[in-house]
Amino acid sequence: MVGIPIGASQPPTHNSYGSSSTGKGLSALASFPLSLMKNSTILEIKGVSKTFGSVVALDDVSLQLNSNEIRGLLGGNGAGKTTLMNVLYGLYKPDAGEIYLRDEKVEIQSPKDAISYGIGMVHQHFLQIDSYTVTENIVLGTSLKNRPTLNLDQEDRQIGDLSERFGLEVNPRALIEELPMGIRQRVEILKALYRGVEVLILDEPTTNLTPQEVESFFQSLRVMVEEGMSVVFITHKLKEALSVCDRISVLRDGKNVVTVPRSEASEDTLVRAMVGAGLEVEESLLFSETGLDQEAVEVGQKSVLRVEGLQIVNEENMPLVRDCSFQIHDKEIFGIAGVAGNGQQELVEGLMGIRPIADGQISIDGASIVGKETSDLLEMGLTYIPEDRLQDGFLPTASVAQNLILGYQRQEPYSKRGFLDWKAIFRTARKLISEYNIITPSAAEAAANLSGGNIQRLMLARAFSHPAKLLVAHNPTTGLDIRSTEFVYSKLLELKEQGMATLLLSDDLDELIRLCDRIATIYRGKIVGVLERSEFNKYELGRMMSGVEAHE
Amino acid sequence: MSEQTTELGHSLKTLAETLIPYIVAVVAAFVVVGIFLAALGFNVLQAYATILFTSFRTPFGFIQTLQKYVPLLLQALAFTVPLTAGKFNIGGEGQLIVGAIGAAAVGIVFAGLPLPLLLPLVILAGIVCGGFWAAIPAWLLYQFGINEILTTVMMNFVSFSLIDYVATEIWRDPAAGHPTTVPIGAGGELPLLVARPPLNSGILLALFVAVLVYVYVNRTPGGYELVATGANARASRVFGINVRTMFLLSLIAGGALAGLSGAIEVAGVHHRLIEGLQSNFLLLGIIIGLIARGNLLAVPFVAFFIAVLEVGASALQRTMMIPVEIAFIVEALILLFVLLSDVVRRR
Amino acid sequence: MDQFQVQFVSFARLVMLAMVPYVLASQGTMLGGRTGLFSVSQEGIMLVGASVGFLGAYLYDSILVGALLAMFVGGLFGLALAYFTTTLKMNQFVIGLSLFFIGLGLSTLLPKIVIGVTLQPPLIPTLPNVPIPGLSQIPILGDIFFNQNVLVYFAILLSIFLYYLLYKTSIGLELRSIGENPKAADSLGVNVFLMRYGTAIVGAMLMGLAGAYLPMVYAGTFTEGMAQGRGWIAIALTFFGGWSPHLIFLGALFFAGVEILALRVQVGGFGVPYQFLLMLPYIATILVMIFASRWVRAPAFLGQNYDREKRTLA
Repeated sequence: MVGIPIGASQPPTHNSYGSSSTGKGLSALASFPLSLMKNSTILEIKGVSKTFGSVVALDDVSLQLNSNEIRGLLGGNGAGKTTLMNVLYGLYKPDAGEIYLRDEKVEIQSPKDAISYGIGMVHQHFLQIDSYTVTENIVLGTSLKNRPTLNLDQEDRQIGDLSERFGLEVNPRALIEELPMGIRQRVEILKALYRGVEVLILDEPTTNLTPQEVESFFQSLRVMVEEGMSVVFITHKLKEALSVCDRISVLRDGKNVVTVPRSEASEDTLVRAMVGAGLEVEESLLFSETGLDQEAVEVGQKSVLRVEGLQIVNEENMPLVRDCSFQIHDKEIFGIAGVAGNGQQELVEGLMGIRPIADGQISIDGASIVGKETSDLLEMGLTYIPEDRLQDGFLPTASVAQNLILGYQRQEPYSKRGFLDWKAIFRTARKLISEYNIITPSAAEAAANLSGGNIQRLMLARAFSHPAKLLVAHNPTTGLDIRSTEFVYSKLLELKEQGMATLLLSDDLDELIRLCDRIATIYRGKIVGVLERSEFNKYELGRMMSGVEAHE
Repeated sequence: MSEQTTELGHSLKTLAETLIPYIVAVVAAFVVVGIFLAALGFNVLQAYATILFTSFRTPFGFIQTLQKYVPLLLQALAFTVPLTAGKFNIGGEGQLIVGAIGAAAVGIVFAGLPLPLLLPLVILAGIVCGGFWAAIPAWLLYQFGINEILTTVMMNFVSFSLIDYVATEIWRDPAAGHPTTVPIGAGGELPLLVARPPLNSGILLALFVAVLVYVYVNRTPGGYELVATGANARASRVFGINVRTMFLLSLIAGGALAGLSGAIEVAGVHHRLIEGLQSNFLLLGIIIGLIARGNLLAVPFVAFFIAVLEVGASALQRTMMIPVEIAFIVEALILLFVLLSDVVRRR
Repeated sequence: MDQFQVQFVSFARLVMLAMVPYVLASQGTMLGGRTGLFSVSQEGIMLVGASVGFLGAYLYDSILVGALLAMFVGGLFGLALAYFTTTLKMNQFVIGLSLFFIGLGLSTLLPKIVIGVTLQPPLIPTLPNVPIPGLSQIPILGDIFFNQNVLVYFAILLSIFLYYLLYKTSIGLELRSIGENPKAADSLGVNVFLMRYGTAIVGAMLMGLAGAYLPMVYAGTFTEGMAQGRGWIAIALTFFGGWSPHLIFLGALFFAGVEILALRVQVGGFGVPYQFLLMLPYIATILVMIFASRWVRAPAFLGQNYDREKRTLA
């Protein structure tokens, strides 16, 4: 039976599972006095601090979790939510602080310890072995050692039963690499459920779900909690926290700022707690209801980017982008919404010349750019902010200045007559550093020392260092703290005003609704529909993201 | 104005920060080996003095050091240039040998040509052949994505057989006991800078090339693209740099540099092709490149220091009967300590 | 038995004899590779194993002591490898090359110190054949498979054992997961640290043993550079075998075959200059890499170190 306390220090073994894989467990639950269990503290984190180098990630944070409760942990990126949970799960060692499980102090040195104490974690970025099956991923690390062969038939059945009970349908024998995101998330959750955890930590679980999927996910959560689980729900999305959590704590700058039960919480108080001083909430884009006053800047008339019938395939000739067509005008922010993995990355790479195009046309200002080299595109006025900042846009062993010229090293003023003009490079670098508020001692400093928010500012600075017609931005604000996110938004709007056309791809529907003039949806590589600003509707978009055609 | 001084001050601070770990590493390596030697009963201080100062005691010692310096410097560059792009060229040995074969072949076949014609041809042949020998693994990497560490090493072994064949079958010098070819034409010999003890002008060539390489990597957009590729190949690709071409060209350039070292050995030192002329230059070259941590400014200095140690080590074996490999151990330890200092610095 | 059969049997026997260092070194490489360690020190470890194995056998007049010493020294190198990469998170290639140098240097230094520089290096007893009673009487097959020295049997049994371990046990499941996604494995309680250390050490011990095999079976003495690139070839073998013990074993047989073939042709005097025959194993290695690059899938995290506390920016 999932979640029934069997004693804090007794590790749930594989066998404890096998004995209750049938309805036997449920009838046992019926007679169990649940009312006695509610409102008793199951987990307490006291005074945890953690510093990484010179960055204080957690500052004397305390948190208390009741049984059968969904506990919200709210905060912007970098506030410390994931760090705190990583400490609880044994991935990080705290510099100070204690953890109590049912009033008994416990030492958690590794995930193995955490699991043995009944704590499970579902990470934001799934930790799965692509080449293994669902079952292999779920049973990895559990005690199967008593068996001489790796015959997992029994486990396959148990997982099948588990998945049915919680409405998390999966095929135990499927290979992970063949499964879509939504199903992979179920596997992540099943990993914890299989181990009989009582405390389940969910780190931003709705990132890859459509609004409709979010609803059904919340329902599954409530089922889990009723069956005895306690959940810590990490999110930066206010509305979600308010809709599903029993109690909400807000973390900011590594401190636990406020804890309120749902009945007493309001959006306003939570926003102020998340944001703190120094940011005018009324002027904030991030927390505004509908986004800026769109009448201020009208979309232009000139067609800047025109994509027609775009087709991109992979090595096995499977289409990744199918018959894609859309148009973007100057002074327009054109959004593409969709669950991650539906062709966004491939579309962007195709536009930027990183991926070959199988069929179709792309033109900038009327001139075709199909087959052009990326370096030419950068010179022509395309500019790019990749989704994976570190991997796709950052040179860790180089200096800040060297990072700022990546992609532009052959253009004026950086190079002249075949040689680099370091004086000019440093001059521009200094200008960009101050204009974009990149915190670094000097342009010659190693870029590896920059913090996450500063790295993104560097990406922005570089993207806008040369005059550009079209900006391709892919998830430009993921992982950014509130202040940096605001900065990105204001910069995007500023550029829109100055005439730039922007293609904004984002996994965050709210972000798109706030900023865009039009939003298209991509599903399995195809553009499903385009909505005008006046038609923006979250549920409509959600349906389109699941492949349903837009209503005419 | 203040920004300029900040950057200058920054540079000076970094210079100090970089030198100290090296000095500590060298001292530590010497101490460790010193303990080892003392345990075996050798006079440690005398050993230290021999290994460090032999190069400077006599003109002969110094010239010998410079002579050794040339192939070490070029081998180090042959390793470091591809390293800048993130690739490991372990084939400097084979590239030197094939470069030497090419140089000797031209020098022997066209032995009659005068100096202004033959010498450039000999040197050029060395560069081209060395580059070619590296082009094979480079192309395998480009086309099939095969890891270059393995292929360059395999090419080394193939070149051993090749030089044996050339020196034994094709242009064999019957008077020599060891596989050696007949001498190249006099026009192919590098002119001497100093007659006694002989120092050939190869050193000028090597230093010139080192400067050329430095300027290219640090002052041109092409050099920047090389550095960017080594820093993050994926990001470089995303921002328009043709990374696969960088890999290919940097490896070929490495081969050309190693081929040049082979040509100089033939044209300047031996005036013929001798089996074994590659000595231990490759290993030392890689050690130099790694100790210098791929920094093209540091390579010439580290190479000189290693040359001093090597000359000192031969003297050590001659005068104190300490095996010459001890220098190798010292150098390997210096490398290890330098790498460790990196780790310490990170914390 | 007719003339052809005699030739075949003697060829096959030599191949079985020759495959041992390849098998041992490659399986050792495979073990490390499965947990993400891309070792390039094999040649150095084999050389130092040969040197130490030779010295041990010489000093204590016992091959067993020599072999154990070689494995011990190999294990030390493996420990260093694991420490520098898993704990200190240094670049695997650079560390691998550094250890290669040290192994190389030590392999020539140690005999000079222990025995001194001599013109005629001393000999050690060679590894004797141990015929398996009964089985070795089988015509043809008996002579090839069951009339060999003890390490040949060990190499065969080792490969079978590793296959079973990797694919049929939960330890194997955990081991392989580390090379595929160490963070996932770690988050589920798999002891990444221990397994990385373990595979590096055991793998290096096998490489040391592979090196010791050379003086014990081939030459009866130690000569500089006697590994002749087998350590490097082992890397290609592991790659070619897709990090699978059974395919690696087959690949090792192939390489041993090439080696013996080159020797045979040389001796037979077919008119090909012997230098070109000597090139065969190395060219074969390159060709094998080209062929394998099309279908081989390396462990996803091969060559990368894992840092539990590394903060990934989302």
